[in-house]
Amino acid sequence: MIAVIKFPGTTCELETAMALKEAGLRGEIVDHADFDPDRFESVVLPGGFSFGDYLRAGAIAAGSESLKKIKEMADSGKKVLGICNGFQILTEAGLLRGALLPNLNGRFLTKWVYLKVVRDDTAITRNLGGRVLFMPIAHAEGRYYGEGDWVQRTIVMTYSSATGEVNEKWNPNGSLWNTAAVANESGNVVGMMPHPERASFPFSRSTDGLQLLRGLGGR
Amino acid sequence: MNPEELTKLKSLLGRDPNSTEIALMEQLWSEHCSYKSSRFYLKTFSWRNESIVMGVQEWGDAGAFKLDDGTIVVLKLESHNHPSALDPFNGAATGVGGVIRDVISVGARPVALLDMLRVGPITDRRSREILRGVVKGIGFYGNSIGVPVIGGELSFDSSYLNNPLVDVACVGVSTHGLKSKTLRAGQKLVIVGLTGLDGMGGASFASKPLDGQDQRGAIQIADPFSGKIVMDKTLQLMDLVDDIKDLGAGGIGVAILELVGELGAVIDLSRVPLRVKNMTPEQVLVSETQERMIYVIEPSKVEKFCGEFRKVDYACEEIGEVTAESKVTFIFEGKVIASIPNIAVKYRPISRWSVGERREPFVTEYRNSNLEESILSVLKHEDLVSKEWVYSQYDYEVLASTIIRPGWADASVIRLPNGKFLALKGDANPDLCQWDAFRCAKAIFAEAFRNLSTVGAKPRAAVDHLQFGSPASPGVYRDFIDSVYGLAEASKFFNVPIVGGKVSFYNEDSNGNPIKPTPLVVMAGITERRPPKFQVEAGDSLLLLGFTRGGLGGSLYQKLFGGKWEIPDPILVDDLRASELVSSWVNRGLVRYAKDVGKGGLVGALIPIIKESLGVTIEIDSIIADSTDPRVKLFSESGGRFLLVGDDSIISEAEENGIHCNKIGQITEKRTLRVGDLEIELQEVISSYHSLLEERMN
Repeated sequence: MIAVIKFPGTTCELETAMALKEAGLRGEIVDHADFDPDRFESVVLPGGFSFGDYLRAGAIAAGSESLKKIKEMADSGKKVLGICNGFQILTEAGLLRGALLPNLNGRFLTKWVYLKVVRDDTAITRNLGGRVLFMPIAHAEGRYYGEGDWVQRTIVMTYSSATGEVNEKWNPNGSLWNTAAVANESGNVVGMMPHPERASFPFSRSTDGLQLLRGLGGR
Repeated sequence: MNPEELTKLKSLLGRDPNSTEIALMEQLWSEHCSYKSSRFYLKTFSWRNESIVMGVQEWGDAGAFKLDDGTIVVLKLESHNHPSALDPFNGAATGVGGVIRDVISVGARPVALLDMLRVGPITDRRSREILRGVVKGIGFYGNSIGVPVIGGELSFDSSYLNNPLVDVACVGVSTHGLKSKTLRAGQKLVIVGLTGLDGMGGASFASKPLDGQDQRGAIQIADPFSGKIVMDKTLQLMDLVDDIKDLGAGGIGVAILELVGELGAVIDLSRVPLRVKNMTPEQVLVSETQERMIYVIEPSKVEKFCGEFRKVDYACEEIGEVTAESKVTFIFEGKVIASIPNIAVKYRPISRWSVGERREPFVTEYRNSNLEESILSVLKHEDLVSKEWVYSQYDYEVLASTIIRPGWADASVIRLPNGKFLALKGDANPDLCQWDAFRCAKAIFAEAFRNLSTVGAKPRAAVDHLQFGSPASPGVYRDFIDSVYGLAEASKFFNVPIVGGKVSFYNEDSNGNPIKPTPLVVMAGITERRPPKFQVEAGDSLLLLGFTRGGLGGSLYQKLFGGKWEIPDPILVDDLRASELVSSWVNRGLVRYAKDVGKGGLVGALIPIIKESLGVTIEIDSIIADSTDPRVKLFSESGGRFLLVGDDSIISEAEENGIHCNKIGQITEKRTLRVGDLEIELQEVISSYHSLLEERMN
């Protein structure tokens, strides 16, 4: 069973749980205050505006009791995926390195983007190395930034053209090296700004999101 | 409150009202809450068909229709014009919050929003500032609460320089029926959310012209995080409550008076949770602080209900109860501060205004322009360029059910939980309405009907918003009445009931100049089949369905170049029959492009093709029209017409139905527009389409 954590202000929990079902997995929406980590094999932190994104995006949720439990799960090797605000929470909580800064144009931005998979040793990208996936982003603070040699190694997916070209032209928000998703060293904790759950249904513009979500199944 | 109303209040009370009672009743009897200038005429909309489950007769916060499987679709449309003029960000954001709470309060889950925006000229700095704030505010609220803005309109006109129009529509869905007013004595009245000092007297503020004085105290502050808690908890706890009332214009006082019906209520204002200390009971009564709701709950369920809100640190308090006594009493610290008998609660004043004559046929100075200049002016007009700058600031994909996203087609489409598809479109045409509001109102209803057909949807219901200057002006009042009759006639003709709406008067500048009359319609339709994304390519033939009629009065062409033109008289049967054909073609997969011919005429309808970096050749002699004037053929906005790309078989099918359908040109690889001997380079049009708004707004 996969926990889909709902904080006050989370907006994407329903479609995330439905997308997991579409991927052949079982997801359950859990209130962050009632979260019992022992019941779940993996966790998804869905998108939204947890606690209104007051202070900084994801900052208050990052300090909540549930994140301590999620960190323990991550340390024990369980899979953790943060999508959009969930990614922001994971960086704020220190489960992932780097930071998500306001978009370069200073505005909220919804856009369908192509993503090139550059790391295939993570929970959600196994067997997808080099693939180009299509799904939307929707955020105001998604400009990934980090300093140090480690940054290159964390990158899981980059914004690209439809044919997988990665350059500044395809960078929607000013992210360092077009970074759209990153993972920890062992690859079981992944954060991504794009929304796989919005590319997961027969009626969606793309079903590429399912390829990523399926990775949450199994150990 | 005017002297006659005060006298009336005295006689209803049988005594002199105290100041609190006057303040309360002033809100209830404001134009905004009582519809005193419009109520009489709005009854013209009072008909429904079998699928309507909530119509204008209910006089509720929203309207609704039912699908075959029992799914109910709720529609609500409202503006926040005056607040957005003074504080664009908060004004627009709280407007979104208000319509969302209205949909929740009938028991439905909000699933989509539309925004229809009208501001001053794009060349005006202040107007751009207003637009920036409004779009940011709508995005802030809609994104944070997780309801997608899936479409809308944006246009620029000097008429809205000091008085922007910010209309937001919300659609909700319920699979378990709706909440209806079933009050019984003994039920508890429960409030959630804190009451503060913002939005004092908002209802009466919205019922007067903006006077240039500092009225910021009347603005409410938006808090979408609280709004999200109220929405999520209300949807979660729906089974515990018997009825819900949004705390909108007029605050607690008006909400209770509107709620009680034949019964009464006792409210203890000292139990209302406050955001600031030392508020006077009168302030508590009329404050319009956002993110609050009132619930009617059985006594045994109050504890469980409030417990859920308190779990997330959200104020929830029982403040009174429904009584069998036929009066509403407000108490503060044990003392009665206002007591309104039922007879006064039910009474609504009526304002009778004189009705002016129809406007003289209209003449503006004709500015001669050659065909090339005319075509380019329309193609590059700011009302017709890409609105990506607006939509990209909205999370239009949240809920993962958006099928036709903003800017893709003439109508937006979402997938409903039952697997059917809901199409939505908002339409207004102030440039036409300023000359003949009756014909214009029919034309906008017909346009919305055509727009829904282009995605294959069958129109089911509409909501309207009637926005004008002061009703005291006989010409303005005439426009209002003409709009009502025009909409009502079209609604009946198309069998698409108007299930709800709003009226907004006093939209004028500080010199008393009214806005152009702006009736607006939002129509909803259903289709079983997922509408396709239109695809065109070089070599495709362009087909024009319908007969082009002269009369450029109220068109974009006339706005740009003036002249003496007839006002087109909509022939609704043309719209109905052509729309039904187009809808069936879309559903049978026979068309790859279907565009309603509207603003900018045929030239305007080419824009979605040209923006794909394609060219077009038009054979002007093939356009069947009642005039040989190329300006009529290219720029007429007469109804009943569609530009199509599709299977050849549709030509004969159209003709079998007695509707003209001709090949009028072709899509070309070369990026030029050829009309006879004229060949216009399109590169600049294409780049301005994509970048104009972005460049102007940054």
